[in-house]
Amino acid sequence: MSFLDRFRSKKAKPKEEKKAAPAPKAEAPKSHKAEAASCAGKTAASVEASQLAFSDLVESGQPLVSYKFGLGAPPGGKINLAIYWAAACGGCDVSILDINNGVLTVGDMANIVMWPVAADGKEKDIAAMEDGSITVSIISGAVRNSENEHMVKLLRKKSAIVVSYGTCACFGGSPALANLVKGGKDEILDYVYTKVPSTANFQADYHKGSPVVPQSHVKAPEGDLELPVLYDTVKTLDQVIDVDYYVPGCPPLQESISHLLKAVADLLYNGVALPPKGTTVGVVTKTLCDQCHRRKEFRRVSKIVEPHEIDVDPELCLMDQGILCLGPATVGGCNARCTSAGQPCRGCYGPTVAVQEHGASALTAIASLFPVLDEDPTCGEDQIIDVMSTIRDPLGYFYAYTMGKSLIKRSVTEKGGN
Amino acid sequence: MSEEFEPKIVAFCCNWCSYAGADGAGVARLQMPTNFRIIRTMCSARVDPEFVLRALSKGADGVIVLGCHPADCHYIGGNYRARRRIALLRLVLEQYGFDPKRLKLEWVSASEGEKFQTTLTGFVDTIKKLGPTPLVQEEK
Repeated sequence: MSFLDRFRSKKAKPKEEKKAAPAPKAEAPKSHKAEAASCAGKTAASVEASQLAFSDLVESGQPLVSYKFGLGAPPGGKINLAIYWAAACGGCDVSILDINNGVLTVGDMANIVMWPVAADGKEKDIAAMEDGSITVSIISGAVRNSENEHMVKLLRKKSAIVVSYGTCACFGGSPALANLVKGGKDEILDYVYTKVPSTANFQADYHKGSPVVPQSHVKAPEGDLELPVLYDTVKTLDQVIDVDYYVPGCPPLQESISHLLKAVADLLYNGVALPPKGTTVGVVTKTLCDQCHRRKEFRRVSKIVEPHEIDVDPELCLMDQGILCLGPATVGGCNARCTSAGQPCRGCYGPTVAVQEHGASALTAIASLFPVLDEDPTCGEDQIIDVMSTIRDPLGYFYAYTMGKSLIKRSVTEKGGN
Repeated sequence: MSEEFEPKIVAFCCNWCSYAGADGAGVARLQMPTNFRIIRTMCSARVDPEFVLRALSKGADGVIVLGCHPADCHYIGGNYRARRRIALLRLVLEQYGFDPKRLKLEWVSASEGEKFQTTLTGFVDTIKKLGPTPLVQEEK
């Protein structure tokens, strides 16, 4: 039954639905209390609160994952689950809820000991837990400051399995583009807090002399205050801690998190072994072009355009139309959502398994699409540079999501010479 | 530094023209600086931009790619592909902050031992003037 069908049926007979719903609800608190008693001390209350919040989401209907709601706790007791965000926008946390009813399976099998965006659970609670007592930690976001680093290292210590969730955690994502700012964190802080014309620092006279810029250490009358230290180089999660599984995507698709959930549920309820360490969940071996429905004519391109500059043919390959699309270099798995909607692929799923350098791979593929010119045998390299300059900001475009994993991770400054 | 800066240069030579040209330069006993290491590829188009970036990330001070002259490629159009990639890659390196002169593309045929010598000598001089690679490996 599709989502729409279920929605319609719910509208048609709302009373029955409501009657059906309370049954699992009534049962739920019991098992939660039993579990809460067995789960490690301090977090028990907050965990229970978050669990009840989950069961409030109960609606009947077919679950989207293969596990039905109401399985009860797994034979070995509930596991502990932590979901954390480092330098991330929060979209990954929201995407976890995209599994709809599947989230109830999560509620069945796990105590959520930490989820800053949705549930309680403090750093000190995690620190008080025994090492390895969290079965799965799902961490999204790149590592950008000392707090990120501290928290992911703490979660690594306490967790059996760490999942690098989302493009920022896997490849650095948009936050890692900050690595291209030559002056590093000082330039970024200076720009954001004093140079942006819309900020109070810039506008108000009373800040002119001493603009308000966050400091990592401040002495106040009440005591010393500490803020996390911003790093010059944004790192991916696996550059800081050991990571077991990767789930790329900005954000990952519902199917990816369902796969992950199924793997964990299989382990807990049926004792099925987990996939080997280092597996990337939710990707295929071929590139996005293999999944893209658009007709490919393998045309030569001599001018790059933006989608809003032309009438985009809904059936023809975007690259054939001169729109810069990273599909030829990006691993498939997203079912070509962006290209189906007329937007080019920006590469959030990262490179295929055979490639490390995603941007270089895209650069290779796209440079080859430019036609051989009549004057090619006689012209110099400068003219070719003019031709290729139709791609504006190649570094920012090809490495939009994978800067953190690139071979050269930071911008550089030539010192001497001419 | 009291010692003169001796750059490390990676030279990619295509099998059919430039590698034979380098061979010719050697057979003719032409004097050349010893700063470069040749890597033979089947075609200049085999030089994936990733190779160049990897060379630079491992501390190379300059990378030179040598191929057959335009319209002379053993694989008909390989060098046209290569020159587009290298042009785009030079734009990328410039955005990183590298001097784009650290990456050079040149055409050397199998009979041009002398051109191989002058090209390499000139490139080594350019890199010596530019100084060591600006890439620092330390993190954070």
